[in-house]
Amino acid sequence: MDVLEKAGRKVVLLGNEAIARGAIESGVGVFAAYPGTPSSEVPITLSRIAKKVGIKFEYSSNEKVAFETAAGAAWSGVRAMTAMKHFGLNVASDSVLPVAYVGVKAGLVIMVADDPQGWSSAQSEQDTRYYARMARMPMLEPSNPQEALDFTKIAFEISEAFEIPVFLRTTTKVSHSIGTVRLGKIEKPKTRGRFVKDLGRYYNIRPNLQEMHKRIDKKLMKIEKRYGRRLTKVLKGKGRVGIITNGVSFEYVKEIVHELKINPHIMKLGMTHPLPKKEIESFIRDKKVVLIVEELEPIIENFVVRVAKDVNPKLVIHGKDVLPRYGEYNVEVLMPAFGKVFGKKVPDFRKHRKDVEKVLRGLAPRKPVMCPGCPHRSTFYAVKKVFGDKAIYAGDIGCYVLGIFEPFEMQDFVISMGASLGISHGIKKVSNQEVVAFVGDSTFFHAGMPGIANLRFNDGNAPLVIVMDNGITAMTGHQPHPGSGFTGMGEPVTPIKIEEVAKALGAEVRVANAFNQKDLIERLKELKERKGLRVLVSRGECRLLTKRKLRAKDVRFVTFEIDQEKCMKCSECTDHFSCPAIMEVREKPNEEAKYVIDPDLCWGCSVCMQICPYNAIRPRRKK
Amino acid sequence: MRYNVLCIGVGGEGVLTAATMIARAANYDGYYVRGVQLHGLAQRGGSIPTFVRFGDKGELSSPGIMQGDANLVLAFEPLEAVRATYYARKEKTIFVINDFPHMPVYANLLNLPYPKIDEIKKRVKPFAKQLFVFDAHSIAKERFGEVVLGNTIVLGFASRFMPIKRKSWVKAIKASSPRMIKENLEAFRIGENM
Repeated sequence: MDVLEKAGRKVVLLGNEAIARGAIESGVGVFAAYPGTPSSEVPITLSRIAKKVGIKFEYSSNEKVAFETAAGAAWSGVRAMTAMKHFGLNVASDSVLPVAYVGVKAGLVIMVADDPQGWSSAQSEQDTRYYARMARMPMLEPSNPQEALDFTKIAFEISEAFEIPVFLRTTTKVSHSIGTVRLGKIEKPKTRGRFVKDLGRYYNIRPNLQEMHKRIDKKLMKIEKRYGRRLTKVLKGKGRVGIITNGVSFEYVKEIVHELKINPHIMKLGMTHPLPKKEIESFIRDKKVVLIVEELEPIIENFVVRVAKDVNPKLVIHGKDVLPRYGEYNVEVLMPAFGKVFGKKVPDFRKHRKDVEKVLRGLAPRKPVMCPGCPHRSTFYAVKKVFGDKAIYAGDIGCYVLGIFEPFEMQDFVISMGASLGISHGIKKVSNQEVVAFVGDSTFFHAGMPGIANLRFNDGNAPLVIVMDNGITAMTGHQPHPGSGFTGMGEPVTPIKIEEVAKALGAEVRVANAFNQKDLIERLKELKERKGLRVLVSRGECRLLTKRKLRAKDVRFVTFEIDQEKCMKCSECTDHFSCPAIMEVREKPNEEAKYVIDPDLCWGCSVCMQICPYNAIRPRRKK
Repeated sequence: MRYNVLCIGVGGEGVLTAATMIARAANYDGYYVRGVQLHGLAQRGGSIPTFVRFGDKGELSSPGIMQGDANLVLAFEPLEAVRATYYARKEKTIFVINDFPHMPVYANLLNLPYPKIDEIKKRVKPFAKQLFVFDAHSIAKERFGEVVLGNTIVLGFASRFMPIKRKSWVKAIKASSPRMIKENLEAFRIGENM
C-alpha cells in the first residue's frame, strides 16, 4: 500500500489517505470514528493498517462516543484522533465544547470534513469553521494532500504543546482529491497510558468555568503568535491588488492566476482559527483592493473588514459580493469574479455550457441507484404493496435514502441520523395518518435507540418502525457496527441483535427475510393490524458485500433470466421493481419492448422471480 | 506541461481503479499529480467523472479539470461519453469510448431510450479532435471471462496518447491489481496493439 511506503518516497495519495499517513507519522495511539463521507477514507485506511502499525483502532457507535473515546485516551497520555463528516460534529459537539475548556494531555485531533455542494450529504451546506469559533479551538485547513499530511502532524504538535484539542478541517475536494505527497517517517505509536486523578482539572463547574474560559483566550493568543506566520503562505506579486484564500480555493486561485497571466499578491491561510491578525494586517496595509476567496460563509471576509477599519480604512474588500455563498467553487465559478476585480477579459463558459446542454438533451440521467440485488429495494417493494402510496414514509440517513427516487419515492422527508423516529412520532401525535418510519441498522445503533425509547415512553399512537438491517454500514464503504459481529480491527465479537434491543425497549417485534417477499408481506400485514410500538427488522445482507465475499472465494452464484415465451411484457419488473440489471430493450424506437436481465449485472437475489406476476423469471439455464 | 485525463463511467465498475493506475504511472514518471476521486453516494451506480492531471508543478494545482480542457476522455460506458463533453473541445480532446452500454434505470422509468452508438458518436463529435470506439469489454470477456479487464484494454489503447513511459505503466499495473497482474498486463498489451 502506498500509504505505508518508506519515508522520503513520493506517492500519489487521496487527501484522506494523506491524513491517515499524517496520523501514523505523528505516532497516534488510538483512533476512533463513526464513518461519514467525505471523511470515511481516513478510518478506512487506518483500519486496514492498524494491526501492522500497532495502533488501537475502533469504529464507535456514533461520533460523540468516538470523540469521547479519543478524549479519554488523550487524557491518559496517548495521542488520539477521530474523524467525522460535518454533521458528525453536530452529534459530537456536546462533548467537544467542554473538552476544549478542560483541555488534554497528549495530542487530540478532530478531523472534520465539510461537503459544500452535497456530494455525499443531504442535510445542509454547514460551514464547520463556525464550530472552531464556538468551541474556541484552533482549526487548521490543508489545501491539498501534501498539506493534509503535514497539517495533521502540526495539529498534534499544537494540541500537545497547548493542551487543547485541535480541528483539522477539510472539504470534499481536499479529502477526495489526489495529489503527489512526499512521505515522512512513521512514528512508533504509544498505546498505553494512565489517567492521573486531578480533581478540578476535568470539569467546568463554577467557579472553574470562567477560569477555564479565560485560560482558552490565553492559549489561543499564544497559538496565533507561534503558528500564525508558520501556517500562512504569502506569494508576492505585483501591484496593489491582493487575494486572501484558504483550503482548496487556493488551488483554484493559483490556476486562474496562471491562466489569466496576472500576478497579484496571494495570501493563503492554513490556520483559520485563530486567524493571524498581524499577518493579515501587514498584508492588507498597502493594498487598494483585496478579493477574499473562501467557500461557504464569509468568515475570513468579516475578519478582514474588521481589521481593515484600523489599518487601511479605504481598502476595497470583495468577497461574497462577487462570489456565491453556496455550493463549492471551481475555476469556472471563480473566473467571472476575477474578471471583474482585475478588469480582465475571461473566458465565457456559458456558450460551451449551452452546446453541451444541446447534446445532452433526451438522454436518461444516471442518478445513484440501489445496487442490483439490494435488500432495501425488496423491502420498499413489499412495504408499498402493503401500505400503498398514501402512507407517510419517514426517511433516514443511509443507502435507503435512495428510496427517494422513482419508482419508489418512499422517503417523504430526510433530516438527520435517527430523525425518522422522532419526526414520525411528532406527526402521529397530531394526526391519524398511517406512518412508516425507516431506519438502518447502523443508524439504529447510532441514534435510533433513543427515538424508539421515546416512542415507547410516550406511546399511544406510534408509527410502524422498519429497521432495514443489511448487517453493515453500507453507504460509507462497509464498516462494521455493534450488530455486525466483528470490530474495526477485524476481530470477532458477539453481535447485538436489533430485535432483542427493540423487544427490551417494549416493542412488538417481527423479523423478516428481506429477500423473501412472502415473508415480508405476511409480517407487514400482521403488524399493520396491530396498534402501539411495532418494529419490523427486515434482514438481508448488503448484496454488494455478499458478492465481494463470494468473489474472493471464487464462488459463482446463480443468476436469473426472463423466459421470453412466458413474459407478458407487463413491465412490473422494470417500472415498479426497477432493478438496474433488468432492461427494456427495443431494436427500433417504436417496436414492442423485450425484457431481459443482464447476466453481468444480476447479483442473484431472486426477488424479481418472486414478484413476476406471470412466473416468467427463472434461474439462468446453462447453455 | 500539463495533461488532463477524464475517466468517466458508471460508479462501482472500475473507473476509480483505472484512474488510480494512470495516477500511479504518472507519478513513477516523476510528474506532479493532482485529481479528483469522489467516493460515497456517487459510487452507487451513478455517473462518476474522475480526474487525473499530471505535469509540471507550476502549471497545475486545481484538482478538477476546467471546462473544455481535457486532453483525453476515457469513457468506459458510451452514454457517459456524452456527459464528458462539458470537459472537452474540438481543438484539444481525444475520446476513447468503450462500446459496452449499461442502460440507466431511468431510461426505462422516464421513457428516454438509450441512443445507438452512431447517435452517441454524432453527439460527441463536435467536441472531439479524435474519436475511437470499440467494445473492450466483449474482447475481455471472450479472452479472460472477466468484463472488468476491458478497462485495462481501454487504458492500453489510450496509453499511446499519454506522455508516460511503458515501464511506468507496467509498474503501475503491478501495484494496482495484485489479484490479476498477469491478466492485466496481457489486457494492457491487447489494447496497445489495437
